[in-house]
Amino acid sequence: MTDVRAPETDPFDAAAERDDQPRPGPSSPGAAFGLADWLKWLWRQLTSMRIALILLFLLALASVPGSMLPQQGGNPAGVQQYYTSHPALAPWLNRLGLFNVFAAPWFAAIYLLLFASLVGCVVPRTFRLAGSARTLPPRAPRNLARLPRSAEYTTALPPREAVEVAARVLSGRGFRLRRPDDEDWVSAEKGYLREAGNLLFHLALLGVLVSVALGGLFGYKADRLLVQGQGFADTVSALDEWHPGRFVTAADLGPFTIKLNRFDASYVASGQQRGQPSAFDARVTYTEQPGGPARTFDLDVNRPLSVDGAKVYLIGHGYAPQFTVTDGRGHVVYSQATPFVAGASGNFLSEGVVKVPDAQPEQLGFTGVFVPTAVNVGGTLESVFPAADNPVVSLIAYAGNLGEDSGPSQSVYQLDTTAMHRLTTSPQVLAPGQSLKLPDGRGRITFTGYVPWVSLAITHDPGQLPALICGIAALGGLLLSFTIRRRRIFVRARTGPSPGRGTTVQVGGLARTDASGGFEAEFAGLAAELKSAHEQAAPAPSAPPTQRAESAPPAQSAESAPPAQPAESAPPTQPAPPTKPAQQQPAEHRHEGE
Amino acid sequence: MPVNVALGHVSNAFLIAALVIYSLSVVAFAGDFAFGRPRRAAEAARGQQAQDHAAALAPVGAASAAGGPAPAGPGVPATPGPATTGGEPADGAGSMPELEVPALRAIREAGRWVVAAVALAAVGAAAHTTAVITRGLAVHRAPWGNMYEFVTALTCVAAIFFLFALIRYRAWTLGVFVMGAVVVTLGLAETLIYTAPGDLVPALQSYWLDIHVTAMTLATGIFFVSAVLGFVYLWVDRYTRRVAAGRAAPGNGIVRRLPGIEQLDRLTYRTIVFGFPVWTFGVIAGAIWADQAWGRYWGWDPVETWAFITWVLYAAFLHARATAGWRGRRAHYVQLLGFVSLIFNILVVQVFIAGMHSYAGVG
Repeated sequence: MTDVRAPETDPFDAAAERDDQPRPGPSSPGAAFGLADWLKWLWRQLTSMRIALILLFLLALASVPGSMLPQQGGNPAGVQQYYTSHPALAPWLNRLGLFNVFAAPWFAAIYLLLFASLVGCVVPRTFRLAGSARTLPPRAPRNLARLPRSAEYTTALPPREAVEVAARVLSGRGFRLRRPDDEDWVSAEKGYLREAGNLLFHLALLGVLVSVALGGLFGYKADRLLVQGQGFADTVSALDEWHPGRFVTAADLGPFTIKLNRFDASYVASGQQRGQPSAFDARVTYTEQPGGPARTFDLDVNRPLSVDGAKVYLIGHGYAPQFTVTDGRGHVVYSQATPFVAGASGNFLSEGVVKVPDAQPEQLGFTGVFVPTAVNVGGTLESVFPAADNPVVSLIAYAGNLGEDSGPSQSVYQLDTTAMHRLTTSPQVLAPGQSLKLPDGRGRITFTGYVPWVSLAITHDPGQLPALICGIAALGGLLLSFTIRRRRIFVRARTGPSPGRGTTVQVGGLARTDASGGFEAEFAGLAAELKSAHEQAAPAPSAPPTQRAESAPPAQSAESAPPAQPAESAPPTQPAPPTKPAQQQPAEHRHEGE
Repeated sequence: MPVNVALGHVSNAFLIAALVIYSLSVVAFAGDFAFGRPRRAAEAARGQQAQDHAAALAPVGAASAAGGPAPAGPGVPATPGPATTGGEPADGAGSMPELEVPALRAIREAGRWVVAAVALAAVGAAAHTTAVITRGLAVHRAPWGNMYEFVTALTCVAAIFFLFALIRYRAWTLGVFVMGAVVVTLGLAETLIYTAPGDLVPALQSYWLDIHVTAMTLATGIFFVSAVLGFVYLWVDRYTRRVAAGRAAPGNGIVRRLPGIEQLDRLTYRTIVFGFPVWTFGVIAGAIWADQAWGRYWGWDPVETWAFITWVLYAAFLHARATAGWRGRRAHYVQLLGFVSLIFNILVVQVFIAGMHSYAGVG
């Protein structure tokens, strides 16, 4: 497959034609078709451009559901929500892998087939390129005027020397030459890097796939919520979530520690963008290993911390209201900052729960809402600004059994109220410092203040650097294959136009698909350079004037002609200098008539 | 730094001016169709040339196909081989007659309407560029931080890129289509999604905005031109086939003035060849930024997924052009599908599908 830029049929490469020719297939009459033939046929089908194209389409199509449906990897909460809102459909979608498209077997099948197709195409082409770099350019065609680009002029040099001069010019321009000793022509070829770039592009894509796999097997991702003033060490037990690669164990975690000293968020205070965050700053202290020297770092959204082979990112933040709970005995049974999570209603209206398992006579639980800038709108509290300008909490108190001893482990953000009874009829709103006295002598809860929290992502991805290198290589290969053209230049010299009147030099040029254009100008410049080289090399007295009108191809693209073009060449004897074979053929026939 | 409101007003004024001048240039391009000089080169002559070129290629192709010393070498008469199926020669826009004339002279010779249209388009593009730059100065950052800014910037890229193609390939007959599309797009952006100059959220406050979004803006502007050319290609192709089938009268005045079908194809191809590496670079830069900001270089965020789909479809176009049975019309359908996915990404995914790229600032 996969010649990125061989749109037209390619006179340089017979293999580019392969899709045009019918292939013997299972339905071909005649010869028996054995297992080996089947496999060969299948492989040929797989590596054909047509199948590669179909696989490319399938890849694009298969990606679509991954963007339309919530995905386990990026949005597990969305998947939960989808289950709730589409209880009948969701299990089926899950069975088809549509909540985890990019890890689904059918998705893997598409890209693995595509890469198999790529390998089946690129490897033989690499050998072919290596082969063609060793063989000589082809012989010059007899009639160079029939090539897409051609030029013709006369020189006083004898044919053999004229070819010699031309060979020197072409070789100086970096062309590979073929120049038989006993004939008066030279063929030259250049631009092998085009194909090399194309191959590099495709191999680099393969490298990207391998790098991604490397990261998946040997990397890990972890999350940790950190309340201001707290710290943690990078161990599995201290992490809220840990997704290790297949070959990663807990021992591979770096032993660094991080403490959040302070977190500040600032917001646009007025205007159309009021409430939009304008800056975050998380000041952390970290050590490479426990007991090591402590360093400070300003963690920001676009500024991760690199520590001990891992990177730590600031990916979210919120408020943690601080509560003190005194139970019926008068004991302080709860006193800490409790992270609340912002809901969808905006401006950091956050929800959370407080669980007090040690309270007597019964366990206590509270569901709460933290409102950073509270405004009472028709009896309900709304947050009108994300900063904590007028913070209040609204609490509902429960007593009973928290249910933590039995059943599956609970989320710290949810209160299981099945074995509890409500103590307050309506939500109680507290400002900082205010308390809610619980009925029946169960004690009180005090809203003492609030601190911010941040959520950190900790990742280690050994495939990252290889992926970057491969990405850059792919881009480089792409640029090479788009900007370099493979082209051939032929020069023939023969005595004439009439006996004793010098030598006719014919130059012909041919480029493989010229993706970015410009061969026309290159050829014009080269023809001019050859001509001036011949003029300089010719013995001065006998140098014939440029007497033939059709010998003026360099004028064909005057605005792009290189400076190598001598000023005296190409007298404009015709308004539109002919460059096309159709127009040069009369001249050619005249030659042969002589 | 606070937004410079006065400079924001200057930017808006320039943008309105650009819109008006562009509209006038579209009128002038259309005026060339209606009243301008007929093209010198007749379609028939061009077709004949194409066949000559293809025939000339055949023996060379056969020679090198055999590899090395050619058994079918010099002197063997040209037999119509597979190489003739490609139509025109591979080496460039040689059959556009005006290419031999310097660009400015060619425009002058094309008549008053073309001169006026190109001049207006150039002045409009200058005003447009000024609008984008002053917006950037007003907000102290790259002026493509929300969807409105993105659209104004990408249409600016499209206009400049088309002017470049117009001069290099003498393609002013396509001006009415490309500049028309620019006017419509810019007008819709101005009326529907105008966003006053403002600051960005912290996630966008990174020099990667200058790199990633700039590349995406450039590539989108270039693909915008490709898409318009693709539509023109499909239209001319359909008309040509209808004429061949006897279902349409030959001699459509507009089609006659347009470049030939192969030239349109090649021009479109070149714009995509230009845009594809830029898009690839933009995706890579985006991956690096995502790694900096979110802790992973690729996470199949909806916008990432659609950038990938777009990339795959344009790659499919490049491959389709090299595949028998896919050249021409089908390849251009693929290309347009790629552009549809790009637009879908901007208009639908970034606005309506929750993801980490929800920065459009619309609604």
